[in-house]
Amino acid sequence: MASIRIQHVSVEYPLEGQGKRRILNDIDLEIERGAFVSIVGQTGCGKSTLLRLILGEESPSAGQVLVDGEARQQPGPYCGYVPQRYSLFPDKTVLDNIIFGLDVSSGGPLSLLNPARRTRLRTFREDGLRYLHHVGLHEADARKYPHQLSGGMQQRVAIAQALILKPPVLLMDEAFSALDPGTRSGMQRLIKKLWRESGTTIVFVTHNTREAVCLGTRVIALAKDISGDRGSSVALDLSVPHLDFDSGEEDLRGLIREVESAALPVPQDALPLPESKPASVYN
Amino acid sequence: MSFLRIHAQPGRATSWMLSWFLFAAGITAYFYVSAERHRDNPDDRVMPTIAQMVQGFQDAALKPAEEEEVQDDAAAQGWFSRVRSSMLWKDTTATSRRFLISVALLFPAVMIGLHMAMFPYIGVFFLRFFQFFDKIVALSLLPIIFIAFGIDELSKIMLIVIGVTPTIILDTFNLSKSVPREQIVKAFTLGAGDFAITYRIIFKQIFPRVLNSIRLNLKAVMLFLFAGEMIASTDGLAYRIALLRRHMGMDTIIPYVLWVALLLFLVDLGMNLLNRKLHPWFQEI
Repeated sequence: MASIRIQHVSVEYPLEGQGKRRILNDIDLEIERGAFVSIVGQTGCGKSTLLRLILGEESPSAGQVLVDGEARQQPGPYCGYVPQRYSLFPDKTVLDNIIFGLDVSSGGPLSLLNPARRTRLRTFREDGLRYLHHVGLHEADARKYPHQLSGGMQQRVAIAQALILKPPVLLMDEAFSALDPGTRSGMQRLIKKLWRESGTTIVFVTHNTREAVCLGTRVIALAKDISGDRGSSVALDLSVPHLDFDSGEEDLRGLIREVESAALPVPQDALPLPESKPASVYN
Repeated sequence: MSFLRIHAQPGRATSWMLSWFLFAAGITAYFYVSAERHRDNPDDRVMPTIAQMVQGFQDAALKPAEEEEVQDDAAAQGWFSRVRSSMLWKDTTATSRRFLISVALLFPAVMIGLHMAMFPYIGVFFLRFFQFFDKIVALSLLPIIFIAFGIDELSKIMLIVIGVTPTIILDTFNLSKSVPREQIVKAFTLGAGDFAITYRIIFKQIFPRVLNSIRLNLKAVMLFLFAGEMIASTDGLAYRIALLRRHMGMDTIIPYVLWVALLLFLVDLGMNLLNRKLHPWFQEI
């Protein structure tokens, strides 16, 4: 059974003057349970919009999005979410951030007043520390506040925070984009390991083609339509062999070229691209 | 002119001297002019000397308020009892009581601003009204307030509420709106409901900033309180200043003004320390 169904979805935003601007055009996808899907495309092509549709944060202008067979009206615990920034609550320690989901979903609005909460919190903290170790952090980090961590450590905590609830789907929106290359590579290995262990469906939005190809079992490239107002559509939907980060350059290069050439808009009246290869657009 | 460069780094001693210079210059200038005036006219009451002001402050702090003069035998009482029955004590407690009630009434304003930002229906219901309300000059409502609420305590507190509440509401609204959307989405995906997000995510994040906003508005609270006390009151620091003005009692007015500034400074300092203690994460950010 498909984990996510995106059925003939289009998204339009009203323009300030008159008319509408179409962002996504007739996207039709099925994402199987347990898949690792990378969505790649140029900046502004609607990758994050697609993610917000899956989250239930936005509604499509046409078509429908089903997660686990249901059209969702607002974000909920059925989808974990790791954005590029602001993923952690700055007023909570690392451990409190990780267990926030367990704590908040364990009782009603008056759960804070429940005396049993203290016992529950002790169990949650044990779970939280386990997840902290799981993402490669130490117990000493548990009491730190997010601003005391590096960008990479913050994203590790954000992943632990999302995974502790064992969501069937994990959505990652440019989650590693702000990280330096070394940290980024470590995070890529970590997320792939966690995906293999948990079997969670991951939808990973990135503008980095190499990252998309190395991580995903499937790469979907969205391409903008520059010449008209038709919005972005799926330009490529490719199943990728299980590649490792240590896979040879030759194996990767062909795939990267294929994805990049699909994702680049080639309008007839577009300005000629510079001599350098289009890969520069994707780092 | 190297000290006027953007990259100039004043040393510790220089910083200390520069930061106190205007205080020292102001005090020196005052006492110089005061001494000159007293040389010309020993009965000058416009600029009292330091000895006169110390005497005026001692009288205010240790002598009983005029209404109790008859019944109290102040000289026979202990120091603390004399302070407690003094004019300064009574005025300070009266003003502090009104001030604290007014500040306490700002917290419902914080709640209104928070809910306006979080729940769109509440937002559209209140926003336009408070934006308009905020532009009304509260002091211009003074006659209406006195007619509607009388000249008792309620009218003074209402003046503060009308004067400061809309600012706090709109400030809280803007602070709540400025929390990144990702935080709300993230909280939803972690299973939080609307109220958990409102109180456990947004309120906790904006609260240190709200406290700062209230701190910055303390002077406005005091301003409206003083206006109310000066016009219609029988006690309070501003009432006393207005009363002493009639007798040209500058030897007590100036210490009173400095006393009010000191109190406000201490409240501000206390709130700042409390904020640091309660929200260590906020100060470091």
